[in-house]
Amino acid sequence: MNTMPRYVANLRQALAPIAVAAGLLLLWQGAALLVRTSYLPPMTDILPLAVNLVASREIFPDLFATLARLFVGLSIGLAIGIPLGLVSGRNRAVEDFVAPLLGMLYPVPKAALMPIVMLWFGAGDLSKVLIIVLTVSLPLVYHAQQGARAVDEKLIWSAQAIGCSPLRRLMLVILPASLPEILIGARVAMVIGVIVTITSEMIVRQSGLGNYLFTALDMGQYALTYAVILIVAALGFALDWAFERIRRQLTLWAPDRQGVDIAVTS
Amino acid sequence: MIILEEVTKTYRRAQGGGELQALARISASIKAGEFVAVVGPSGCGKSTLLYMVGGFVPKSSGRILVNGVPVTGPGPDRGPIFQEFALFPWRTALENILFGLQEQKVPKATAHQRAQRLIEMVHLKGYEHLYPKELSGGMKQRVAIARTLAYDPAILLMDEPFGALDAHTRTMLQDELLAIWERDTKTVLFVTHAVDEAVYLADRVLVMTAAPGRIKADIAIRLPRPRRRDELLRDPNYQNYVIEIGHMMDRPAAA
Repeated sequence: MNTMPRYVANLRQALAPIAVAAGLLLLWQGAALLVRTSYLPPMTDILPLAVNLVASREIFPDLFATLARLFVGLSIGLAIGIPLGLVSGRNRAVEDFVAPLLGMLYPVPKAALMPIVMLWFGAGDLSKVLIIVLTVSLPLVYHAQQGARAVDEKLIWSAQAIGCSPLRRLMLVILPASLPEILIGARVAMVIGVIVTITSEMIVRQSGLGNYLFTALDMGQYALTYAVILIVAALGFALDWAFERIRRQLTLWAPDRQGVDIAVTS
Repeated sequence: MIILEEVTKTYRRAQGGGELQALARISASIKAGEFVAVVGPSGCGKSTLLYMVGGFVPKSSGRILVNGVPVTGPGPDRGPIFQEFALFPWRTALENILFGLQEQKVPKATAHQRAQRLIEMVHLKGYEHLYPKELSGGMKQRVAIARTLAYDPAILLMDEPFGALDAHTRTMLQDELLAIWERDTKTVLFVTHAVDEAVYLADRVLVMTAAPGRIKADIAIRLPRPRRRDELLRDPNYQNYVIEIGHMMDRPAAA
């Protein structure tokens, strides 16, 4: 029945997302022209603004501020989350202490802690980074734990027989064996990291894309607001795309698994 | 020299409480340089016995001595080789073989020289830069054998090492193992459920009963060395050993 040549199928696969995006933009444009309210500016206003924000470099200071917070928060989160997850995945005693902490933190929307964190640490970068660290650590701890638990016992025995100390085993066996799982956690962490960074910038308004967005909203510049939202979306997309490339490179050795699906909840 | 004295292993049952006896009072002694095979029905605890000698699994009671020293954990004097190969999948064949040498701080040039010699010995030339997932089962086991030989353990603990390989690869690796053993005179404890493999390789075969495992017979294999497969297959003594031990395995354990 299906006699469509393969290249047509490939082309369709490549074009489908573009078609969907174009369709949505057209729908938006049509709705905006029909309704004619300042809350729903037409795409023909929004897109040039977004392009201009980038081309004129006006958005760069805020973009870099957001990226810097995300980077610092993620780095600290990785440095805390991965060792904690790996050790608690291999050691029951550590896990007994880590599990209740995770269980307690998991359901709390971390941005809701922002006011309290601000009371303690001031309305500045420290509070923001703290919230980011808190948020991104959870999936990292969880996935590192899962990875460490699933390490083939005989890999560890093979290292023990050679005389590897527990710390060397953690570095040379458990960490690399858990890497595919850790990187899944890191991808989730990065995506929700973007979300919480922008959110924290909306709450504590100093700089960053979140701040820029809210300032535009406050001043009633709706087209500009939407333009910043587009840039935020593009940033999230680009980061995820780049990370996926790196993840594949780092795990080329790993036996193929079926498509990795990640659910993002925040 | 390995001495087992009244070694037992019991597991606490996960459900319903109570204990499950896996090994019942095993006593045996294995001389240095001896090749001893352990055969028994699946689930008889023969692998557990090997893991206890390796120090990977604690015994429940009794004594295990290796060169007069009680086993308290794994050590580089006892090199394991597993049915599942247990290679580090993120390391190439060469890097797997280098692992032990790097851990023992062997100078880089010496380590590489040694690894190259082992690669030639196990016929992996040209494959040394491939990852385990790119290797066939037989090649993986060759890498695993080389990785263990690299740090030169006096005792090899082999846990059904050829059980996951096809018949042709299995016979090839058996012959290669014998060649290595005849040259290096290592002590080998070799667990298998294949009687013909045990008789072909070993000086002695320990036959175990079904769980709880006991040693039911200790049979010296008096066949000429070096072993030649085609000669042995025609040798009535070889055939008798295989048939006799096979019968022992068939018979259900006395209650």
